Parts: sequence; structure tokens; C-alpha cells
Amino acid sequence: MSDVLTKKEVLHVAELARIKLTEKEVEKYQKELKELLSDVEKINDADNYDDDILIACWEDNTKLREDKPGEMLSPKEVLKNVPRHSGNYIEVPVVISDGEGA
Amino acid sequence: MKYLNKDIKEINKLLKEKKIKPIDLVEEAFDNIEKNKDLNAYITLNKEEAIKRAKELENEEVDNILFGLPIAIKDNIVTEDLKTTCASHILDNFIPIYDATVVKKIKEKNMIIIGKTNMDEFAMGSSSRTSYFSAPHNPWNKNKISGGSSGGSATTIAARDVLFALGSDTGGSIRQPASYTGIVGMKPTYGRVSRFGLVAFASSLDQIGPMTRNVYENALLLNAIVGKDEKDLTSANKDDEDFTRLIGKDIKKMKIAVPNFFMSEIVNDEIRNKVKETIKVLEKNDVKVDYIDVKYIDNAVTLYQIIAMGEASSNLARFDGIRYGHSYENPKNIDDLYLSTRSEGFGEEVKRRIMVGSYLLSGENAKVYYNKALSIRDDMRKELKKVFDKYDFIIGPTTTTTAYNLDDPMDDPRKSFMDDVLVIPVNMAGLPGLNIPIGFDSNNMPIGMQIIGNSFEEAKIYQLASFNIYLQ
Repeated sequence: MSDVLTKKEVLHVAELARIKLTEKEVEKYQKELKELLSDVEKINDADNYDDDILIACWEDNTKLREDKPGEMLSPKEVLKNVPRHSGNYIEVPVVISDGEGA
Repeated sequence: MKYLNKDIKEINKLLKEKKIKPIDLVEEAFDNIEKNKDLNAYITLNKEEAIKRAKELENEEVDNILFGLPIAIKDNIVTEDLKTTCASHILDNFIPIYDATVVKKIKEKNMIIIGKTNMDEFAMGSSSRTSYFSAPHNPWNKNKISGGSSGGSATTIAARDVLFALGSDTGGSIRQPASYTGIVGMKPTYGRVSRFGLVAFASSLDQIGPMTRNVYENALLLNAIVGKDEKDLTSANKDDEDFTRLIGKDIKKMKIAVPNFFMSEIVNDEIRNKVKETIKVLEKNDVKVDYIDVKYIDNAVTLYQIIAMGEASSNLARFDGIRYGHSYENPKNIDDLYLSTRSEGFGEEVKRRIMVGSYLLSGENAKVYYNKALSIRDDMRKELKKVFDKYDFIIGPTTTTTAYNLDDPMDDPRKSFMDDVLVIPVNMAGLPGLNIPIGFDSNNMPIGMQIIGNSFEEAKIYQLASFNIYLQ
């Protein structure tokens, strides 16, 4: 097994994480990601004795709260940290480009 | 005149008798912080607001022991109108619009928030060196790390700037820096403290906890922050209790287990010997100590890598440059906005972890890695729980070495996980764990010991921790 990921593999992983990498970063992560991914392979060496899973250590408290209206934030508060907005609308770049059809 | 170096009961008495005012304590705290500026413990100071609050409190009754005392908050816990950055460029302009539940609670106790402490970016790291604002320095030796991720909180307590700080612990991030800086740090039982307003890293592991100069004050701060919270469905429904109630009580006949893994050759000799000395003193005092094997604890780092990186990749998907935080200036389209914002905003360690995490959760991998990790995690918890059928505590060293140099290389992506090899099992099993200082190594750097208790037995942990051998 190679001790680095291919550039294509790194770019695939970066795409999953929605991160753009420079050429230099790709090279750096080829080795580093491989190291971490080989580490997690060790999971296959551990035997487990039953198939129960533990998502989190909740104890007697997994009750959902009642579905009723509570306190709400005002649009002014919500928009306080929004980088671009116009009135009460949050602005985003064009999502559907011209001519490509739906 | 100095007050913050006095006993907390004495400070409280002076406040009650109006011999001092909260403003005296606040001014003293800011003087200390100024004097220790080069330690880089803080990202943001809350000076104006803290002074204003201290003056308001002059007209209020001193109604509890924490009244008027300054407290530092780790910068991943949101504070209304006070910048909260998670030590990341992506949030370096973020002003929260609400208080975390723990912040609300300490404000109800009339504590005064002095500032937001430095940390690893999004709590990902073990030395606080992944901070966008550069690392804090260890007060015992400024060339050394303070540990992480709650490195700033540990630093400000060890430097005695203030008496109280909050940290967060996902895989050792309270206990490990507490060990490196010689202070007391508690990771409470999962669910004991509300996570509402703690910026999520790995939601099934994260827990907020107190960091202090001694055990008694640690228990006092835990008293203030616990409780069921409607806003966090993983918070536990437990009655209020006084965590100081067993402090000073006899520990004779108690039974302690020491996992052989905790005393294996991964731990350096000086630390092992110091822990052995402590064990001898306990034995002399009629405490039974057994060395045992605990299945799966040596798998904890691998489980952590899978679970924590997986959950982090999902939690950090919210940083999109649209709703809050840093946003790329001139995006060509929506994808460019996401990709460029995240590439500019996140540091190296965070990028590495969310890339690995996204991969581990993608397609079939979720079954091969994440589900398998959750399954072994369950087995590990059962094994640890079994230990508590026979023993009151598990103890061992908190770290494998003492604090290392700030300029040690950062080119090994495994290092930050291995620094936490002894503290991660506690998070996996949701158990409470406490670091207490037990001495120094030959370079005069603090050595810490961890005390692990059964779920919701924090009060009992403080009982063992306060046993006077540790105070010598």
C-alpha cells in the first residue's frame, strides 16, 4: 500500500468537505491524510463482542421537548452577523446559472 | 492591596462587610492580566463591561459565595454582545446574540466575565498552537505549551490572574492543560452541564467544566453551572446537589483501580514514579489499590479519531459564509462562496480534521468506520462501567509527559491525538474525570493525576481529590 494518497483522492476528500486546496496544500495533505486514514484502519483490529452502538452517553433523559412556540429572535438580531443582506433578506450569489435549464 | 490570593471564604466575608467592592477584584484581575500579557491567555478582554457590572453590583446584596468574582470564559462558549471567535479566522468578527446556558447561570450568580480565553481553533488540538491568535505560554516556563485545547483558561488560572475559568473537554481539553499547568480541572459527566451555546465540535463528547486553583473552588463553580436545560436535550435530569459536601470526608476503605495501560511504558518514568508515590500514600491510609486490565481502553484514540472527526465535519458544515462569520469577498457563484470562505477561514488542523471526517462519513464508509467505532465505544463503556461495580475510582497519570516546548515541530498530525491518549477514554464513556496536581518533574514542570468516577459521582471525586495528601 502506498504511503501517500493520490492527488485525485485528496481532491475528492476536499470536495466532500467543501474546501478548496492550493497545489501546495494538496501535496502536503497527500501524506498527512494518509497517516490519519491508516490510523483509523486500526478499528479493524479491535474485536467487539456485541453489535450495540453507543451514539452518546445519555442517561434517562432522551425526552424531546414539547412542540410549542417559545421565544423567538427578531430579524434585526438574526441579521446582525449576516455578511450580506438587503432589508430582511439574506443575500447569496446566483444559485442557478443562465441557460443550463432545470 | 491584593485580594484574589486570599481564601475564597475570606474574600466573600470582606465583600459582605463592604470592606472591599467587586470593582477592587475586577481591577486587580485586569492588573494581573496586564502584567501577564505575554502569556497570551486571552483573545478578547471584557474590560468596559466588567467595570460597569462591578459598579452595578455595589448596590446589590452579596447573596452567594461566587458573588462579584471575576471569571474567564473559553472562547468557544457564546457570550451575548461579546466577541466569540473559537480562535478561528472564520469567526473573528462574530458577536453572539445570546448567552450560553452556563453563561446565563454564572451571571445569575453575579460573577463578572473578565474575558474570553485563548484555545486551539475550534478546540481541535492539544497545545493551543492551532489558535489563529497564536498560542498561550505556560506560566511555569514561558517556552512551554499550556496544553489544549483549553490552554488560555489553564494559563490564566495557573498565573493566578483570576480564580475561576470555564473550559470545554471533548477529548481531554480541560484535564490535559490542567495537568500541564498544575491546576484543577473537571470534565463533568456527559449531560451534567448544558451544552447550549458551546460551539459544537463533537457533540456526543463535548462537555463544559470548571478550571480553578483548588478542589473546593472547582466544586463551587460546578455547583453554579449544572442542571437540566430545555435547550439541550442531552442534558441530564438530575436534582441539584452540593458538590462540596464530601470534601474533607474520610476515604478509608475506598477501592481504587489503576489500569495497567495507564502505567505502561507510554508514560514517562518521572510521571509514573510520582503517581506510584501518591498510590503508596493512599495505601498507607487504608485505601485499597489494584492494578487491572481494562479491555478496549487502548482503542480509545482510534475511536476518538473516527467519532470526533466525523462529528466535527458535520458540525462545521454550518460555516458557509452566508449567515455569520467570515465571508469570501467576490464569489463567482454559490459553490465558490462556500469553498473559498472555508479555505480562507479555517486553519490547517481544522481543515485536516474535517476532510478526514467527511471521508469517514461518506457513503459506505459510515458503516465501515463510524458505526463500528460507535459499537466498540459501547463495548468500552460497558467494560469501564464493570470496573465501577467493584471500585470507587479509576486513577492514573493525566498525561504521558509534562508540557513540552512551544517550538517543538507540529508536522506530525497524530501527535495532538497521542497527547490525549490517557484522557480520551473518559469522554468515550461519558464519565466524569478530574485532574489534580501531584508534584513536579526534574525541570520543575507540573505533573497531574486524573481521578475518574462513575457517572454523576463528581462529589465523590472531589472527596478523594481533597484528601490532604495532595495539599502537601
